[in-house]
Amino acid sequence: MTSRHTQGDGQPTARPALVDASMTLINEFYRRPLDPGYALAAQRRQAGAGPSRTRPGIAALVVLALALGLGTTAATLQLRKPLGQANEARRVLESQITERGDEAADLQTQATALGDEISSLQASVLGDADASLRAALDASAVESGAVEVTGKGLRIELSDATSADADDVDPDARVQDSDLQVLVNSLWEAGAEAIAINGQRLAATTAIRSAGSAVLVDLVPLSSPYTVEAIGDSVTMQTDLARSSAGQLLATLRATYGIGVEMSSQRHLDLPAVRVTTLREATVPAGSGLPDLRVDPEDGAGEDGGPVSPSADAVAGSSRR
Amino acid sequence: MIAVIGLVVGVVAGLVLQPTVPLELQPYLPIAVVAALDALFGGLRAMLDGIFDDRVFLTSFLSNVVVAALIVFLGDQLGVGTQLSTAVVVVLGIRIFSNAASIRRHLFKA
Repeated sequence: MTSRHTQGDGQPTARPALVDASMTLINEFYRRPLDPGYALAAQRRQAGAGPSRTRPGIAALVVLALALGLGTTAATLQLRKPLGQANEARRVLESQITERGDEAADLQTQATALGDEISSLQASVLGDADASLRAALDASAVESGAVEVTGKGLRIELSDATSADADDVDPDARVQDSDLQVLVNSLWEAGAEAIAINGQRLAATTAIRSAGSAVLVDLVPLSSPYTVEAIGDSVTMQTDLARSSAGQLLATLRATYGIGVEMSSQRHLDLPAVRVTTLREATVPAGSGLPDLRVDPEDGAGEDGGPVSPSADAVAGSSRR
Repeated sequence: MIAVIGLVVGVVAGLVLQPTVPLELQPYLPIAVVAALDALFGGLRAMLDGIFDDRVFLTSFLSNVVVAALIVFLGDQLGVGTQLSTAVVVVLGIRIFSNAASIRRHLFKA
């Protein structure tokens, strides 16, 4: 093959002794980047021995050129496309998330409105016939978390230990469901009338659990900082809490794991109602003149008016440390 | 020159028509595009050198693309697809670089 051993500037490259014989492959690429076919064709043209250009030959060239241009463009476009598709998919998912979120919020407001309607209907049915019955109802409504509660109380804020590396957090340095369970149980014990975590009201059957690294309260995922608000006598609650196992736990969390614990008594706390109240047991009050019917849709988990009984899940919380 | 015109018309047609590439060919597209770039730069340099030839340009273009895709296909079958792709990209990259350097010398005399 008569190859064109020239650089771009036309200087013939003197071939020295091959000191870099081991580099022939690289040299070959570097010195002769141009397809030798061009030089060959040029030589042939100079010699006048070039292939005669026939009409079909030119047509074939044009078709080939068209096809190559089309193919290359198609390939380039295709290579750029997947990114667009991924973005599209993400946009769809995002819109779905917001859509469902709005839907859930709508349903929640609807549920709240219906709950309000139920309580107003209940009040109108009862009228002012039986004051003691209504008082009992109101009390149980507070205890079951069916109504919003306002009052003074205690606010305890737990926050995950700050870590230099956000990706690599020691799970022990996070607030865990068991911590919240112990704290909540001790608060009930200390005489709290109503408790909410990050605005999620706790009823007697509300579960505090964990799923992965998230803490679920009433199946709603929450994240640090966790604000536990308890309505009741803040002074007695604070002293009782300090004496209880939760007091020790909080001290350990603070000292050993660097978890932030802040306790403050509040003059005014607003706790929302429980998101969903399920009817577990219903009785017709005695002395209402109606036959004593007992409605028991499922095996009732306890009586509304009884002593405050934290949920089974919350009770099950054992100390992890 | 007719090859260049044909190519440009093909590119424009591709942009307008937006054809889709079959799914089976997609793994070979990146290498094929790099090979096409190599052929383009080679053609440009030959043009500046004054030895451009339609037939050589199109043949090198086509063979570059086909061989590059073939190498990737072979590599995939042998389980060394990524390594072979890297090899092809390195080789074509070197050629593109030195062709581009020589084009630069032609254009800017530097």
